[in-house]
Amino acid sequence: MTPDSPPAIEVNDLTVAYRERPVLWDIDFTVRQGTLTAIVGPNGAGKTTLIKAVLGLVRPAAGVIRVLGQPYRDARTEVAYVPQRGSVDWDFPTSALDVVLMGTYANLGWIRRPGKRERQQAEEALEKVGMSAYADRQISQLSGGQQQRVFLARALVQGARIHIMDEPFQGVDARTERAIVEVLRELRARGDTVVAVHHALQTVPEYFDDVALLNVRMIASGPVDQVFTEENLRVAYGGRVPFLQGVTGGRAP
Amino acid sequence: MIFDYTLRTVALGAGTLGAVAGALGCFAMLRRQSLLGDAISHAALPGIGLAFLLTGSRATPILVLGAALAGWVGTLFVLWIVKQTRIPEDSALGIVLSVFFGIGLVILTWVQRQPNAAQAGLETFLWGQAATLLTRDVWLIAGVGVVALSLLALFWKEFKLLSFDPEFGASLGLPMLRIDILLTSLLVVAIVLGLQTVGVVLMSALVVAPAAAARQWTDSLRVMVVLAGVLGGGAGAAGAVVSSTGSGIPTGPTIVLIASAAVVFSLLASPRRGVAAELLRAARTRKRVRTDAVLADLYALAAQHGEAAEHPHSMAVLRTMRDREGSLDRTLAALARRGWASETSRGEWALTPAGIERARDLFLGNGDVGEAE
Repeated sequence: MTPDSPPAIEVNDLTVAYRERPVLWDIDFTVRQGTLTAIVGPNGAGKTTLIKAVLGLVRPAAGVIRVLGQPYRDARTEVAYVPQRGSVDWDFPTSALDVVLMGTYANLGWIRRPGKRERQQAEEALEKVGMSAYADRQISQLSGGQQQRVFLARALVQGARIHIMDEPFQGVDARTERAIVEVLRELRARGDTVVAVHHALQTVPEYFDDVALLNVRMIASGPVDQVFTEENLRVAYGGRVPFLQGVTGGRAP
Repeated sequence: MIFDYTLRTVALGAGTLGAVAGALGCFAMLRRQSLLGDAISHAALPGIGLAFLLTGSRATPILVLGAALAGWVGTLFVLWIVKQTRIPEDSALGIVLSVFFGIGLVILTWVQRQPNAAQAGLETFLWGQAATLLTRDVWLIAGVGVVALSLLALFWKEFKLLSFDPEFGASLGLPMLRIDILLTSLLVVAIVLGLQTVGVVLMSALVVAPAAAARQWTDSLRVMVVLAGVLGGGAGAAGAVVSSTGSGIPTGPTIVLIASAAVVFSLLASPRRGVAAELLRAARTRKRVRTDAVLADLYALAAQHGEAAEHPHSMAVLRTMRDREGSLDRTLAALARRGWASETSRGEWALTPAGIERARDLFLGNGDVGEAE
């Protein structure tokens, strides 16, 4: 990566409001290319809203967002999105492979159906998340962790360089968590960028390079060992910090 | 009688619109918009009345056009209410449905009072009368139906994505709003096509019922849509024939009764999602829990006494270990059948090697014990 290559994501002065209530207030936020970045913060902090704003899914009241130095609509093919698992109805009549194939729709264009090549890409993506054996399963018959891995495979098949994930570890089993972490590290190794909304503070230093502490305002963001401090967490969580002991990157002497 | 020309025409018309409504109804159901169909059909009524008042014609294409416009306006009202007010969607649907239907009834009643013979028959739009279908009406239904189904096939993957995960679709850069408008328009078209045959009051049943029945039998969207189309088409054709053969029963109720029978049967009898299958599974689970409990008890007894696990124990001891549902004899017999325990002497039971292995799995909590067959 050249020093003057643009950041993966750059957010300037972003404000988002639902009706009159601001959900995000004057956010400045930069994601470096080739990093794993966590977004943490209490419930209602606006974490999901922040990534949806980056993805152009919510309209900001103010602010500028650039992805690889361009507006999102011009950099769209470089971005893959993994929504919260709970955002869809898993009783939908479709198979795991079929869901993964949805990741190929953008490149297919109108009317064309996924063909042999797309099926192969989808199967490879399922393989990568250890789900090959479940390709033809109806998605409601998958465990929560398996569903999450299907969503991850759907993002992988897009062939993007920036991966935006909403709580990829939410409610998954240990095996899925390991599988996902492994995939994230592979992505980073090939120079990709991952931004994930994350809940379990204790795993932030282990999994992520950078972290953003959010609570409507951006409390702090940067490398984990610099900004993931007790003080910043206290500000972000209003004093009620879960699992604070021995968690922070600024480890006590 | 089946070869009667009029009857065939009527059956073809009702069958086509049933197929279109059934296929599109799948998407409405999966998107939890079943009520929208009801709102659209009721909202269409004033459109029919106004179209007649303005043109003085009761030709089907004109009335259908009026119905489609009013149905669309009703849908837009629902969207507008949800967006601009804090009224939730189900209430918005209820409001639009009743207000439009009320206006429609007022217009229709007023039209009936006019000293003009041409208006006779408008009230068939309430409950549907397939016998009023003319050959050219059927051609209209068939033509529009084929176009609607072709569009459905053409935009299949877009509609699937819209129904499953619209936000992901938007993140891919697909114009989800336009796709939504297209799909909703097709639903409006399917509904207004059926108004003359099925009637505004019951038309939504022909949208919802085939989809609900089809969902019970398959986990594939493609199969579900085809099956719902076939069911809707069959119910439409059969209902139209029954009501047209002089029974005097309006077509709408007949079609809806037939479609509902398919729903009831599917809810009860489908092998994976049906009520009967569910009861059977629950009974099996209860039985397995009972047999597992005995296995565990036999194993625990041996462990407590420091004996080998295959040491026999009397049924009397097993009885004291816990309150059991069902008969212990039968549970032990079930264990014997599976080769997990055997009666060594009268009233004395011991685990077999296979039984010991399974009991160990139970104790160690080894994964999917429940699925072991």
